[in-house]
Amino acid sequence: MGILEETDRSGDARPLPLAGLRVCDFTWIVAGPQATRILADLGADVVKVENESYIDSMRLGLQRPDEPMSLNGSGFHSNFNRNKRGITANLHHPSGREVVERLVTQSDVVIENFSAGAFERMGFGWERLQELNPQAIYVSLSGFGQVGRDRLNITWGPTAAAVSGATQMSGLPDEDPAGWGYSYLDHTAGYYGAVAVLMALLHRRRTGEAQHIDIAQIETGMVLTAVPVLDYQVNGRKYQRIGNRSEYPSIAPHNTYRCAGDDFEDDRWIAIVVETEEQWGALCDVLGSPDMASDKRFNSNDARKRNEDELDTAITVLTRSQSARDLMHALQARRVPAGLCQRTDDKMEIDEQLSARGFYPSAPHDELGEHRYEGYPVQFSDARWRMVRGAPLLGGDTVEVLTELLGYSEEEVSQMMAELAI
Amino acid sequence: MASQLNTESVGPIEGLRVIEVGDLAEVAGKLLADAGADVIRVEPRQGARSRHIGPYVNDRPDTNHSLRFASANTSKRSVTLDFEREESVSIWSALVARTEVVLDGTGSSTLDDAGIGADHFRTLQPGLIWCSITPFGLNGPWQDWASSDLVQLALGGPMMSTGYDDHSLPPIRSDGEHSIAMSNEYALTALLAALWLRDDNYDDGDHPIGQLIDVSIHEAVSATTEGSFPNWEFLGQRVIRQTGRHAAAERNSPWQYKCTDGDYILLMGGGIPRDAKIFEGLLRWMDEYDLAGDLHDPKYLEVLYTDPNRDVEIRNHVADTIGSFVQSLTAEEVYRRGQALHLPWGIVRRPEQNLDDPHWEDRDFFWRGELPGHEESVRYPGAPYRFSNSPVRMRRRPPLLGEHNHEVYIDELGMAIADLRQYSETEVI
Repeated sequence: MGILEETDRSGDARPLPLAGLRVCDFTWIVAGPQATRILADLGADVVKVENESYIDSMRLGLQRPDEPMSLNGSGFHSNFNRNKRGITANLHHPSGREVVERLVTQSDVVIENFSAGAFERMGFGWERLQELNPQAIYVSLSGFGQVGRDRLNITWGPTAAAVSGATQMSGLPDEDPAGWGYSYLDHTAGYYGAVAVLMALLHRRRTGEAQHIDIAQIETGMVLTAVPVLDYQVNGRKYQRIGNRSEYPSIAPHNTYRCAGDDFEDDRWIAIVVETEEQWGALCDVLGSPDMASDKRFNSNDARKRNEDELDTAITVLTRSQSARDLMHALQARRVPAGLCQRTDDKMEIDEQLSARGFYPSAPHDELGEHRYEGYPVQFSDARWRMVRGAPLLGGDTVEVLTELLGYSEEEVSQMMAELAI
Repeated sequence: MASQLNTESVGPIEGLRVIEVGDLAEVAGKLLADAGADVIRVEPRQGARSRHIGPYVNDRPDTNHSLRFASANTSKRSVTLDFEREESVSIWSALVARTEVVLDGTGSSTLDDAGIGADHFRTLQPGLIWCSITPFGLNGPWQDWASSDLVQLALGGPMMSTGYDDHSLPPIRSDGEHSIAMSNEYALTALLAALWLRDDNYDDGDHPIGQLIDVSIHEAVSATTEGSFPNWEFLGQRVIRQTGRHAAAERNSPWQYKCTDGDYILLMGGGIPRDAKIFEGLLRWMDEYDLAGDLHDPKYLEVLYTDPNRDVEIRNHVADTIGSFVQSLTAEEVYRRGQALHLPWGIVRRPEQNLDDPHWEDRDFFWRGELPGHEESVRYPGAPYRFSNSPVRMRRRPPLLGEHNHEVYIDELGMAIADLRQYSETEVI
């Protein structure tokens, strides 16, 4: 029994769906770790490989300012690498390479998100992986993919969002693109990475055949742009930003409205969507404005759409002094789709739904201590996911993995440590 | 070299039998269908919601010509069934009886309330995997709340990280039904994991392990906000949104600039190169235009490549100088030459501009296929992954409404032709 099983205090006897599967994990930053985080949450034994010259740089991200810099001091890193085991292996040392090779022979999946071709230059291309373990599924996740003329281009999440079209598809029509305020496509590429691994495992179970999967992060954004791509081809229309309004379907009101601020900032907003006349009546009611309900400019969806600027101004006049959260509850009580633009503190400290469903379970980390983590957004009837432990310390599970899984003796491990092979 | 694609063989989940119902599971259904699953979409007689949402071919509304529907329904088959009608129960039961997976995108407990949902069929069919995607999950105080994509991106947090430096402008919802994408991608991970578990394991009664999978869109969106979560949980900091770059606890320099051709360029992290060698290459490029300003001063090298948290003002000055430089060029030049210097800079494209980029042609990313209502074939954005031995591809064009009623109900379920005609006339099918 490994450290994660020992640490598991859920007392839940339902199975982890991916228990028994092993992943040799060479991912770093966000996109790759997001993929293996899902596999680890679902019970796979994800063994993350690092070494002194190749450390996941996110280990240094968002450090606590009042404490000395630590390779194990990042909550950002811990959230994306929880439930994994961590070892170090020095690929420049023959014994370190052998550790990785033994791990590959014991793995169902090998996954990395280096720049295209880099893993092959490190000596672990598809052919070599096949020699080591013909059953191993290999996933490469990069910005532009492993083939194509621009495969060597360098990307981070925001670069990929820009090229894919996702950045342009976000923002007000008369302003610059707003883009995404975080690396959305790192999440997305990670989600598709996990989907691809699982599809390939099912294929292997049926056919006995492993395969190489090439994921281009930009393509994982492009698949989300199909409507404008088709619209351009058949109607000749170039994409134009729409802010928070809705053209397809053409409905109004459909926007965010400013409410009273709170003690952090005068920056509280509520999203309101009206799809039916009944909802429109309810909105006017809740906002206490019979005038608006009877206003000819607003008495049908077509009229509201024609006068949308005036409509949005009129609604803002009524919401500006109100509590966005109270207004949300009042509107939801009348079945009007409405939601506060929540910050993370709202989600974690107040949101009744996330709280009731236990979305932020708590778990230990050997240096950061006990903290809450984002959950896996699914509940199973006859299985479970786990939140057992934060990210591994750098090399924190090397001894356990090498002695219990890879067949090294404790003496051999000590020797390799002395030689800086691991 | 990357392995060659084998286009002869079957998809990774070829033959998996899936029934999709409701409007919240379209993307998951498409991803399964493109990967080889036999996905039958069960639609009401008036058609799925997305058939009634534009844009349409030639901007003429038609149930079969919605681009929104086309974008999320390739490779599926379509049958119609009116759940309001009592006669639908036996037909629905026959459909479920032949399936391994039900993708329930009705967004509510409607089917269970009518006695024809997960509870009912899971006792009849051990091993059945029923994946329910709902706005807030199948339990909890907000379970019955009204929802929409805008409301989900507000409640889940993406919007408060996305927008402009100027906070008199609202938080922004990115266009493209992303709450559906996020939840459907997570749903697939759960569903495929449940299939993996089912195939190797048996319950106490020696039956394969079936599953009710309860996916909450609110949770899927809430798990898709990257840095704002650790900022709050580990550092007690809230992030503030900024124009075209990451939300952060403290404001920083711009990352996005408008170039001379009117297009925008994204300079990751504000454009400061990650090492001194790349910085020198950038300076030589800036010198060609005499726009390096005072950046040749050796103090900059020292500040930039020692401690990233030191001298924020000096770093901002460097970033601003690089920003002024790129604004004097075209976005295409900044993108191509920046990338040649290994700078992670990206041109901010409109989605349709990718149709002209030969890199995607090299990868066969776009799928050419038929689009109902349009004479010429079109190019659809393809798959988010390339499998070397089990290609994911468009199996068939998006289905017309009820296009497969005959094929499914008569050929596969064994319904009599006269019965189908009767059901059709009485508006059950």
